[in-house]
Order: sequence, then C-alpha cells, then structure tokens
Amino acid sequence: MTTRDVEPEAPPQGPNGPNGPAVGKPDIAPKNPAVAVGEQVVDYVDERTGVVAGTKWFMFRNVPAETSWFQTLGFAAFAIFSMQAITGIVLAMYYQPDPGTAFQSIEFITNDVTWGSLVRSMHRWGSSAMIVLVFLHMARVFFFGSYKYPRELTWVTGAVLLILTLFMGLTGYLLVWDQKAYWATVVATNITAAAPILGPFIADILRAGPEFGPNTLSRFYAIHMLIIPSGIVTFIGLHLFLIAKLGITEPPYAKRRFKAQREEDEARRRMRSPNTGRRAVPAAGDGSEGGS
Amino acid sequence: MKKSEREAYRRDYAAAKAQGKPFFPYAVYKDLIVASVAIGFVFVLAIWQPIGIGEPINPATTDFVPRPEWYFFFLFELLKIFKGDNALTPVIMATFIVPNILMVLLLVTPFIDRGRERRIWRRPIALTSGLLVIFGLAYLTQAGLEAPVGQAGAAGIELEGLDAQGEAGLEVYIANGCSSCHMIKDVGAPGPGPNLTDEGAKNRGIEWQIEHLKDPTSTSPGSSMPAFANLTDQQYDDLAVFLEGLGTEYR
Ligand code: HEC
Ligand code: HEM
Repeated sequence: MTTRDVEPEAPPQGPNGPNGPAVGKPDIAPKNPAVAVGEQVVDYVDERTGVVAGTKWFMFRNVPAETSWFQTLGFAAFAIFSMQAITGIVLAMYYQPDPGTAFQSIEFITNDVTWGSLVRSMHRWGSSAMIVLVFLHMARVFFFGSYKYPRELTWVTGAVLLILTLFMGLTGYLLVWDQKAYWATVVATNITAAAPILGPFIADILRAGPEFGPNTLSRFYAIHMLIIPSGIVTFIGLHLFLIAKLGITEPPYAKRRFKAQREEDEARRRMRSPNTGRRAVPAAGDGSEGGS
Repeated sequence: MKKSEREAYRRDYAAAKAQGKPFFPYAVYKDLIVASVAIGFVFVLAIWQPIGIGEPINPATTDFVPRPEWYFFFLFELLKIFKGDNALTPVIMATFIVPNILMVLLLVTPFIDRGRERRIWRRPIALTSGLLVIFGLAYLTQAGLEAPVGQAGAAGIELEGLDAQGEAGLEVYIANGCSSCHMIKDVGAPGPGPNLTDEGAKNRGIEWQIEHLKDPTSTSPGSSMPAFANLTDQQYDDLAVFLEGLGTEYR
C-alpha cells in the first residue's frame, strides 16, 4: 500500500511483545465474576473497535531514546486546551450571549458565582498561556528542523492550529462585552472587511450583517463555542495521529545522531574521493564519544 | 528530496526507534510534569491577578485606544506602520497583504526549507530568519505594550482661528473619542489612524469627509476606522468643516 512507503517502522504492534493480552493468565486463579464481566466487556469492545490495539499502538510505541524537555511543549499546549474546554463549559453555564445582559452575566460570574472569578480568570490567563506554549512549541519544531521529511503535513496541521487558536482569542475577547473588547473587535472586523474579494463577505458573516449589531454577539458566541473548538479538536486529532504514526524526531544534538551523522559525512567524503578511503576514521568514532 | 535520501532517513529513524524506549512511561512522565507546571502556573496567576470587570459598552463613543489582547499587539503595531499616510504604505498593506504573507509563509515553511540537514548550526538561513521573526514579534509586542493608553482628555487640543462651527466640530470630535486613534497637534494617540493636524491641506472636500465618516471603507478601501453612522446631519457638517479646516484655517 502507499502508506507502507512512508511508514518508518515495522507494523505497529511490533515493539510490545511482552505486553500481550492479560486474558487467562494462570496466576489469577479462580476468576472473580466481576473480573470476568470486565474482561468480557473489554473484549467485546476491542473485537468491534480495536481500541486496545490502538491504545497500545499509541502508548507503547517506541520513541527515540534521547528526547528533550523541549519536546513536551506540544503536550502542554494540549493540556491547556483541555483546561480551556472545561473552564469554558463552566462559564457557558452562566454566560448570556445577549447584548442587553452579557455584561451583567459577566459581573454575576465574577462577583456572585462560587469560584466564578477563579474560573473566569483561569480561562482568561489560559488563553495567554496557550498562545505562549503554542509559539514556544512551534519555535522548538522550527529550530529542531522537525518539520522536514516526512513531517511536512504535521507542520501544516500545526499551523492551522495556531491560526485557529488566535481566532479563539479574537472571538472570546468580545464576549465580555465591555468598552475595550467592543472597540477592539470593531477594528478587527473592519480589518477583516478590508481584505479583497472574500474580506467583506467574511466580515458580514462575523458581524451577522454589514454593521456591528445585536446579533453580532451571538454570532461570535457560536463561533467561539462551537465552530472553532470543533476545528481545533479535529486538527489536534490529525496532528496527534501523524505524530504517533511518523514518530517523534530525535533532537538534532542527540548522541546517536552525532554518530550516525559522522558516519554519513564520512561516507560522503569517501564517495567524493574514492582513492582516499580512510578506513581508520569510523573505528576512531566508535570509541571516543564526545559530549553534545 | 531525493528518493535515496528519503530511504536513508527511514533506515536511520528505524534504527533510532529500535534503540529507543516506549513512549509510556519514558516520554509520558516528562509530558505530565510540564503540563502540570503549566496548569499550576495558570492557576496561580488566576488567583494572584484575577481578571476584573471593564466599563460597560457604549457604542456611541470610543474614548480610549481600542486595545486588543496582547498577542495581537504585533498586528496592531504593523497597522500603525502602514497607516496610509502616503501611497507607498497603503492601508491595505497592513490589513491584508502583510498578515496574509505571514500566514502563507507559516503554512509553506516545510516546502521552502526542504534540505535534510536538521542541525540548526548548519542552517544559517533558517537560524537567521527564525531569530528575525522572534525579535520582530518581540519588538512589535513591546511597542504595543508601551503605546500610550488613550489620552481621553482630548480637550487639551488647542487650535487658533476656531470659529463657531469649528468649535462645534471640535466638540463632536472630542465626544466621539476620535483622539483614541488620531492625533491633532500633540494630543491623542499616534495610531492606528493618521495624524490629522494637516488634514485640511489634503483638500478632500466636505462631501468626501462626511462620506468617509459614515462609511470609511467607501472612500478609503482597507480602512479599519469604525463607521460613525449615527451622528445628526448638523454634527456631520460641523465635524467635516472642522476636519477640512485643520492645518488651513485652524492651526
Ligand atoms: C479605531 C480607530 C479610529 C477611530 C476611533 C477614528 N479613526 Fe479616523 N482613521 C482611522 C484609520 C485606521 C484611518 C486610516 C484609514 C482611512 O483613511 O480610513 C483613519 C482615517 C481618518 C481620516 C483621514 C482620511 C483621509 O485619508 O484624509 C480622517 C479625517 C479621520 N480618520 C477622522 C476621524 C474622526 C473625525 C473620528 C471620530 C469621529 C475618527 N476618525 C475616529 C482610525 C480611527
Ligand atoms: C493547539 C496547538 C498544538 C498542539 C496541541 C500540538 C501538539 C503537539 C504534540 C503533543 C506534539 C508531540 C511532540 C511535542 O510535544 O513536541 C507535537 C509535535 C509537532 N507539532 Fe504540534 N501542536 C500544536 C501546534 C503546532 C504548531 C503551531 C506547529 C507548527 C506550525 C506544530 C508542528 C508540529 C510538528 C511538525 C510536530 C512533530 C515534531 C516532531 O516529530 O518532533 N504544532 N504537536
């Protein structure tokens, strides 16, 4: 198949030989009926969906031995996104997307709802934290050269995530419906309207009409609550699938890389001048491994 | 990338994986530590600096600089650089062309930089452009942070030669918070709108000014100035006369 060509590793289940299914292991002697039912349920679902194999494929796949702490930033962005989803749902239980009452509902959340101020503040600070983490993550991908073959499309899905995240910030900002938010958003939609061809059209969709009006708020609410989050969830899914499939890169400064690279450079040099095949060099490289 | 290079990559990565460790728990524990630190950090910030309540909106006036979240400052600052003072920096540059070029560059990065080399110290072009982008964003964001926050007291505008209609126009100007985006003499914000001290010298004409106020994009494609569509006919007249007099009669 075509996917086989790109796949850098053996079939997915490869590296987890010892982690075979626990079914019928002799050391759990007389089976507790609850355990039996539990196993039946797991087997039932697995037979029909493959979740167990899938989870093993995701969780127990091998990653290069040396990975850097910088390679945790993507997951941190994901964690903050999950936090935004949860705090956002709590806020949505009290928020009213109506121009007449939106501001009061924010006041109510902040002053009266139990933990309301905390949840709102976490959601607001979380938006900044997510932007920071996504940028840092992108910087690490860039400086590690991790977007190179075969991960080009992982980068593209990531870039879409960055744009969607920025739009989350833009649409969420208006929802507090105060002076600052209102006027900043008027300017932002005017900027959108200024784009040629599609610009005026998109601006009309955003504003629910040619002017900023009563429906604009509920329009932004729907975009912020439904449209962009589903886009983000979809693209995070694609992003993570590609990462698991292609494997995470080895940092360019990993010890194993240095060795492999040195051998490769050596081979290239040998190709260029075939009569100076210095055999001694690879042997020396084996023993004295410098720090990174 | 050549086929042989792609194959070499695959062989190399298969070797890295074969000598590797399982994602769970060797990578997962690091991920969980950093994610917990990030969430803890947000939690502490939320308690230490809770988000307050702003002013309720008043669509009739903007008496301070419309400020977006800090992570959009770089765009706003770009907007100020290209605020349409002259033909070389048309408004459309800031609002459309520059952001879209940035966005497309972001999306196609892996298709521009296709070499196999991943060590950053051997990728001088990538290193330079990466650092340039980082410093550019940092500089623009910093500039946005330092931008003066609306001198709403635009009453400090002192002009000579104001007649009755000029006075009335100035009042409309102040009441509508125009100085949160414009400067007259030294009063007001330096952007995103152009300095209006010599607006009259452009000879736009009263009609044009009223048209522009009602719908800025109709006369200035790409304008990000909000439409002021709810003034009375008298107010439009006064304001337009005032604007046309700036730099000519009123100075
Ligand atoms: C949110 C920011 C903002 C506010 C508020 C604002 N403007 Fe502007 N203004 C701009 C921008 C951006 C431009 C440049 C684009 C354009 O020409 O429309 C501009 C341009 C202008 C121009 C120059 C037109 C030309 O090319 O000669 C005039 C005159 C003007 N504004 C008057 C006003 C008046 C009067 C008010 C208050 C009623 C006002 N503006 C409020 C942003 C603003
Ligand atoms: C919502 C935002 C994002 C989330 C949740 C996310 C999540 C992740 C995660 C969990 C990883 C695994 C490795 C790691 O943590 O570093 C990863 C890798 C990757 N990300 Fe993202 N990411 C996001 C945005 C981006 C952006 C903006 C880009 C670039 C434009 C990007 C490009 C990549 C690439 C190319 C990899 C593979 C790197 C490798 O294999 O070493 N991601 N992402």
